[in-house]
Amino acid sequence: MDVNPDIWGQLALEASQVYLTDGTAARSPFAGTTIEKLPDKVLLHVFSYLTHKEISRLARVCKRWRLVAYDTKLWKNVSLRPEISGLHVGSLESLLALISIRFGPSLRYIELPIELITHTVLHELANKCPNLTHMLLDFSTAMQLHDFSELQAFPTKLRYLCICLSEVIFMEGFMRKIYNFINGLEIIHLIGTYEKVEEEEEEIYEVINIHKLKSATPNLRVINLYGINFVDDSHIDAFSSNCIQLECLAVNYCSKVSGSTLKTLMQRSRRLKCLLMNGTNLQSEYFMQVEWEKSSLEEFDITATDLSTEALSDMLSRIPGLRFLSAGQLNGFNDQVLKAWMDSGNSRHLVALDLDSSDNLSEDAIYKFLCKHGHQLWGLGLSGMTHITDQLWQSVLPILTNARILVLGTQERLGVNILVDQLMDSIARNCSILERIELRWDPENLRFSDKSQKAIDTLRVKCLKLKCLSLSDGRYYEIVKANFERADRMTVVRTLTNCRVSNYYLLSNYKDLIFN
Amino acid sequence: MSKIKLQSSDGETFEVEIEIAKCSVTIKTMLEDLGMDEDEEEVVPLPNVNSAILRKVIQWATYHKDDPPPPEDDENKEKRTDDISSWDADFLKVDQGTLFELILAANYLDIKGLLDVTCKTVANMIKGKAPEEIRKTFNIKNDFTASEEEQVRKENEWCEEK
Repeated sequence: MDVNPDIWGQLALEASQVYLTDGTAARSPFAGTTIEKLPDKVLLHVFSYLTHKEISRLARVCKRWRLVAYDTKLWKNVSLRPEISGLHVGSLESLLALISIRFGPSLRYIELPIELITHTVLHELANKCPNLTHMLLDFSTAMQLHDFSELQAFPTKLRYLCICLSEVIFMEGFMRKIYNFINGLEIIHLIGTYEKVEEEEEEIYEVINIHKLKSATPNLRVINLYGINFVDDSHIDAFSSNCIQLECLAVNYCSKVSGSTLKTLMQRSRRLKCLLMNGTNLQSEYFMQVEWEKSSLEEFDITATDLSTEALSDMLSRIPGLRFLSAGQLNGFNDQVLKAWMDSGNSRHLVALDLDSSDNLSEDAIYKFLCKHGHQLWGLGLSGMTHITDQLWQSVLPILTNARILVLGTQERLGVNILVDQLMDSIARNCSILERIELRWDPENLRFSDKSQKAIDTLRVKCLKLKCLSLSDGRYYEIVKANFERADRMTVVRTLTNCRVSNYYLLSNYKDLIFN
Repeated sequence: MSKIKLQSSDGETFEVEIEIAKCSVTIKTMLEDLGMDEDEEEVVPLPNVNSAILRKVIQWATYHKDDPPPPEDDENKEKRTDDISSWDADFLKVDQGTLFELILAANYLDIKGLLDVTCKTVANMIKGKAPEEIRKTFNIKNDFTASEEEQVRKENEWCEEK
């Protein structure tokens, strides 16, 4: 909405008169300068720090504030999912009014819950919001799909689409109507109901037809299929047959994926750089058929799979340019694997490594690996191992001078205590560009003294880029938190319950992979 | 360290290190456009800022001279207002008139860091208040007629608590 030029003129006049107002008020010479003297642009800046809910309340203050509150610039990214800190819009009529009056051409991103996904809403978005490029449709709580037989229009400029699937609602009635509009999509997220999975075997429905979807979306660069119980190798094959731009494929927690089509995927998708397969059912036999030596894969997550020692050694010694490896919770990952990898020379490009809960790796093997590669690492996770204590960290920290992300410790109770003051001091002295760190140790295992404050001070002062320091809830957490808060770094220290640190921040497509 | 002179609207001049003055994009551009030679004893007139406010702005800029440049506003800017440093919070413990004068000066001089932190302070004064409380706080006149008020309430009722 453009502001009437008369208003600007009047404001300029007012602004020029600001200094003429009298100074008769009690103490302040500027008592005449009220909030009404601020130009609309500045008021808009103030409003931009408030939530949409607050902004809507401000509209009721006075005519001018109403005008500013309705400025479409404040309504670029809008979430309408109240459970996920979005706005609650009670009726379709209100939403339709909002779309045309408040969102308009400024709207870039919208999140809609099932109740608000109707053909009239989608028509209105298509007509009134030509710059809408990112959309999230949440069907996860759906009991029944609305009737979309009259759906004629859909936003056509979408680059990013995220669909939260329900377990039981078939999407085809809706999808069939939108295939023609989503050819430009570059990023798709299909979010399954992984978190809701219960022990008992329920029937699995293929609620969305991926074979049809892939034909409609030839330009996908990033595909994220997350925790979808029906997704299997044939779906990976389908995408790879049609999406030649594919750079990043994530199938985390899709437990039916076994890797039988990995070989063709790697042959077809020459641009594929990032493959995330955490918690899948990868089979060593398929895995070893892949021509890793020809792949340009740089980022690989195979956490919590059942790959054998042989398959791991084989892959690591053939894959040439690996920069990011997440290989935690793998029984097969042992000293032999690490040695084979080092001997092949393929670990030379590595910048991020996560070996969470790798109980079959010895302290000595990890130490040798880090002596050779520690200096090149931006991210390192060695959590969940009772045999990796502050002793190993103390000896490798002087090498980890490029670390941005570190994950240390285990929540299991230990027989030994962690000398956390010395550890903090050493981190501070060696890792000056550290951004995120997590210390997972149980508070009972952290030994600290009255010198704690000094070590925390050092960390705070030396690591100026530190954004997140995650600790187990307990006395030490309180001490560190209070220390940082005294120095006005309010949001750095967090508890493990709210915040987990991971190397995923280092993925080149990290921003595209965020959903929810 | 070379210095320049800034002249306030009421004629007072302030000698300031050139690097500190340049945190104002307005002054920086002025110097570049005028091709002012740093040796010359020129005075930069600032007709929109009075001496009391200019003194405070210089105090702020001097304290923050080594700050990294504030991040550009991007699409997904976090709506944080709880990250005001204690120095700034103390600095901004002023009456409303002075606060708004500072905002106007930061806006005119184009000093993003100062504009951000002052606007955040105002946002904090607004947060959690009902429309009537906001009017009282800032001495704003309710210029809606009864029917307009009903209308605007309706326009926004969807956002009230479930």
